[in-house]
Amino acid sequence: MPWESVFPNVFAGDAPRMAEPLMDSDAFAGFYERSAHSLWVYLARVSGDPALADDLMQESYLRYLCASRPGLHLAEGEVAGRRYLFRIATNLLRDHWRRPRPASIEEIPEEYLAAGVNPAQADSQDMLNPALARMRPRERQLLWLAHAEGYSHKEIAEVTGLAGASIRLLLFRARRKMARLLREQNPKGG
Amino acid sequence: MPLSPCSHEKEVAALLARGGWPDACEPELRAHVSACRACGDLVLVTETFQRARAEAAGAANLGSPGALWWRAQLRRRNAAVKRVGRPLLGAQIFALFILLFLAVGFLLSQARSGLRGLDWLEELTQPHALHLEILWPSALFDSGWSLMALIPALATLALLGGVALYLASEKR
Repeated sequence: MPWESVFPNVFAGDAPRMAEPLMDSDAFAGFYERSAHSLWVYLARVSGDPALADDLMQESYLRYLCASRPGLHLAEGEVAGRRYLFRIATNLLRDHWRRPRPASIEEIPEEYLAAGVNPAQADSQDMLNPALARMRPRERQLLWLAHAEGYSHKEIAEVTGLAGASIRLLLFRARRKMARLLREQNPKGG
Repeated sequence: MPLSPCSHEKEVAALLARGGWPDACEPELRAHVSACRACGDLVLVTETFQRARAEAAGAANLGSPGALWWRAQLRRRNAAVKRVGRPLLGAQIFALFILLFLAVGFLLSQARSGLRGLDWLEELTQPHALHLEILWPSALFDSGWSLMALIPALATLALLGGVALYLASEKR
């Protein structure tokens, strides 16, 4: 006998509410197609680890779907849903950085060490990767959200959890530092 | 580092966001950008990041949205079951406390009546212990309080045992 049937009243009240999905499968598939690429690139660029980006992206979507905010997608629009997704991903990144780092080279995923680079992508990656590597994680996040995703200061504050008033100054400093690093690497292009 | 905002920054940022830089840009603004450090930084960084974003998007290894959706439903369901299971655990702990309370009460009552209520246990050690009727603890009925305590205690024990057995088998 299933144990749910022993306590019918408990489940009768809770089951429909708990089983209610945030969005149906088709709506999610559409949202995923439109947002997954930019989320993955954000995670890969900010973390510098494509394998980690794969894992965190999946976890971000799972948490997004499990979040108890029914109607978020429909009521606030896709832009808000996307922003919420980036916020989850940002928190996951922060949690990842807080965890202890792998101690030995054996623990680093092979894909990370042998990350293949498309020759067509080499130019911008050669230019951006070393500069990004010299930035703090928080600076990378701010720059990516502002200049690659095109988020406003208010939206960045919402995604990162930083105070809205400090975003402008932090972003200004990060941009200046990044521009200096880019010019150092490519004096002619600057 | 001093914060030196430029009045043209928003205009340049809007052009970059629309993809209008540098083609749709007025010559005056272009001249300003080449002279202004803040706007120059903005153009350099935004162009580099936008190019990197466009190029890296193809490298994404995207999984199936359907599989993700089902995994999320499974996770939601597990979380809901866990949430509902919490009161059951509370009820079990409560039943255990009741049982312990009754057991202690029973033992105290027996101790107060000089352990007369447990005479039937002694009878079991006598030579005629093999008679079936001796197994029925007649002495037990001498004390009304003991009986009142023992029956609910046994019932609770039986119920709790059943629930524990069920949960153990469910877990397996």
